[in-house]
Amino acid sequence: MTGPMTTTAVRRTETAVAEAAPAKPPRRGRRLGWERRRAAVLMVAPAVILLTWWIGIPTIASLVLAFTHYDVLAGTISWAGLGNFRDIFADPIWNRSIWHTVVYTFFTVPVAMAIAVAIAVLLNSKLRGRAWYRAAYFLPHITATVAIALVWMWMFEPNIGLFNAVLGQVGIQGPAWLSDPAWAMPAVIVVSVWKGIGLKMLIYLAALQSIPPELYEAADVDGATPRRKFFAITLPLLRPATFFVFIVSLIDSFQVFEQVYVLTPDGGPANATTVMTLEIYRSAFGKFDMSRACAQSMVLFVFLLVLTVISRRLTGKDSDAEL
Amino acid sequence: MDRQPAGSTRRQFGQRAGLAMLGLVAVGCGGPAPAKPGQSDKVTGEIRMITPIFEGSDGAKVLSGLMADFTKQYPDVKIVPDYTTYAKLNEKLTTSLASGRPYDVMLMGVGWIPPFAAKGVLADLGESESALTSLYSERVVAPGVYDGKVYARPIMLDTRYGYYRKDLFKQAGLDPEKPPTTFAEIRDYARKLTVRDGSGKLTRAGIDILGIDLRQGFETLMWAAGGDLFTPDGKVAFNSPKAVSALQLMTDIIRTDKSEDFGFTEPGAATGVPIVQGRAAMMLGHNNTWQEFEQNAPNLVKDGQVGFFVVTGERPALFQGGTIGAVSAKSKQQAAAKEWVKYLASAQPSLRANQQRGNVPALKSLVSSEYVQKNPAVQFAMKNLDHAYSEGGVPAWLQIRGDFKAAIESALLGKTTPQQALDDLAKKAEAAIASGK
Repeated sequence: MTGPMTTTAVRRTETAVAEAAPAKPPRRGRRLGWERRRAAVLMVAPAVILLTWWIGIPTIASLVLAFTHYDVLAGTISWAGLGNFRDIFADPIWNRSIWHTVVYTFFTVPVAMAIAVAIAVLLNSKLRGRAWYRAAYFLPHITATVAIALVWMWMFEPNIGLFNAVLGQVGIQGPAWLSDPAWAMPAVIVVSVWKGIGLKMLIYLAALQSIPPELYEAADVDGATPRRKFFAITLPLLRPATFFVFIVSLIDSFQVFEQVYVLTPDGGPANATTVMTLEIYRSAFGKFDMSRACAQSMVLFVFLLVLTVISRRLTGKDSDAEL
Repeated sequence: MDRQPAGSTRRQFGQRAGLAMLGLVAVGCGGPAPAKPGQSDKVTGEIRMITPIFEGSDGAKVLSGLMADFTKQYPDVKIVPDYTTYAKLNEKLTTSLASGRPYDVMLMGVGWIPPFAAKGVLADLGESESALTSLYSERVVAPGVYDGKVYARPIMLDTRYGYYRKDLFKQAGLDPEKPPTTFAEIRDYARKLTVRDGSGKLTRAGIDILGIDLRQGFETLMWAAGGDLFTPDGKVAFNSPKAVSALQLMTDIIRTDKSEDFGFTEPGAATGVPIVQGRAAMMLGHNNTWQEFEQNAPNLVKDGQVGFFVVTGERPALFQGGTIGAVSAKSKQQAAAKEWVKYLASAQPSLRANQQRGNVPALKSLVSSEYVQKNPAVQFAMKNLDHAYSEGGVPAWLQIRGDFKAAIESALLGKTTPQQALDDLAKKAEAAIASGK
């Protein structure tokens, strides 16, 4: 060192060094001591073990079994190649179950999200008794699906059910709902939308409350209408929440089982409500055909993977950082 | 001092983890192993039993009593029951077999033995079929026999046949002592007994054909029409012209005669049994529908207003199912398990089980029991067992049977013709039989 440097000179030097050779991130081992790394491993280990045991191994097992003939009764296994996949795509019921799942998802995801945003905006305003309303809307989410489905079954009952009784009052003979192929799927969708609103609404409510009020105050000064404020401020700032709700709802909808199974245990009249998960269940536990069920599960898995990737590409890039 | 895992160590760890996973997958695929010689022949040990017939508090109470009586005789045996229903039985059996730890004793339905016995899941009970038929109704011994060996003992029978309301027959101007004796009469009577209100809403079905499992209802009519599920050499026969005529009858009742609307009723509906409530005048029913009458319409029972009929087309036929007890080939307590099954199928235990469920005893000696003598539905079933037919018969039956309902529904809804519906179903069944699954 030849002599003391000024602060400016030091900064210049540091900048020059930085520009000349970008600093390497400190090695992990140096940054974290062994003790800290061990603590980190110990903290992460339970989650890793559980994920491996409950998700990793079953996923690998399903993938392997999808390419085999696994006879669960005899305990024998033989290679089948793509045979199971050829079989399932030649089965009109499986193909219909894919279509039903898509229809179900179309109505339970975007429609339910739109309703949830509307309710969340309403419940974010200064409404009398809004805490009560918030609880009321959230209640279906924490109630057991089976209990909910049973209550709705009573309401859909064609002879003494609530819906047909109300329709009867205005001179309309209601349908047989769950026994009518035209109405069974709409009935299941109504129950699912109703049950799913609570959680979506809660996420939107939290997102709404994180929007700085100054933005609305500035918009007020500029004379913006409530409609303009909603589309120019609220909706764009809800984008991270929308992405999250969309992905979670999409996956949830593709995996729907409980309400379909309880409301229409045999997949509805003439398979009108047979969705992919129900068909997987029937293959595995109704027909003892585990390999077929595994092949169907793999198709469902690929669907979810592709949808998630597309969703991320469409809406996720900007949102990831904000989530 | 920092200890960095070397790259090779990481690779080794990854390889070991991968091998461990594959090992676990292989273990998961293990399935049941064949019976080992030298398994305990002493009547001791813990027996795990799956039962679809003692569910609910009343059923559990009966089974507790039976277990207590059995363990008095065999104090070194402990029985651990797993209660379920027939709707969930497949699920439980599958998971137990896949885990490599099947139940020691499995109570299952008629039609289940060929699929399980053919795959080596069940133990040969070492009984003689002829010896059993001297004790039990032959109709229920046969479903427990596969390839000449006895794999299950009968515990109870259940049947499906026609019920009718004599009071509603009188109202419609029909002779209450003359139930229908042909398919044509079934349709004719049903039309006369059907009631709709001013708006056309069905208030009373002439005949309720939807109140029992659709497959079982169709099979009853199919056998009566002279058809069968399979040929004796195991080929599909349920799309024969006779079988199609049975589905045509069901379709005509719903679509042409409008004697019942699709969706008007369903099995086990929480709203009750329509014939008991007067919302149907006739039905294809289970023998335990009688219990519903006793509990919810005792006056009808007292006044003798409930009648029965065997469905008759080309021949009289009633559906006969039942519950039979089998032992796992993998059980380590085979002697105790076999003794327990034998005990459940003996006179007093089987009588108590049948009484609790309103079912038909399989033991011939129980015909004279007080329970049978006081239950006209059970008496009627026993009197007509010569006309009884059972489902199943091929090892692929469990793969096939689940597809019946949707096929029948598609015909009843007019989406396909009865012939198309059964032909489509036959193709799937033939594929399942051919695949040997």
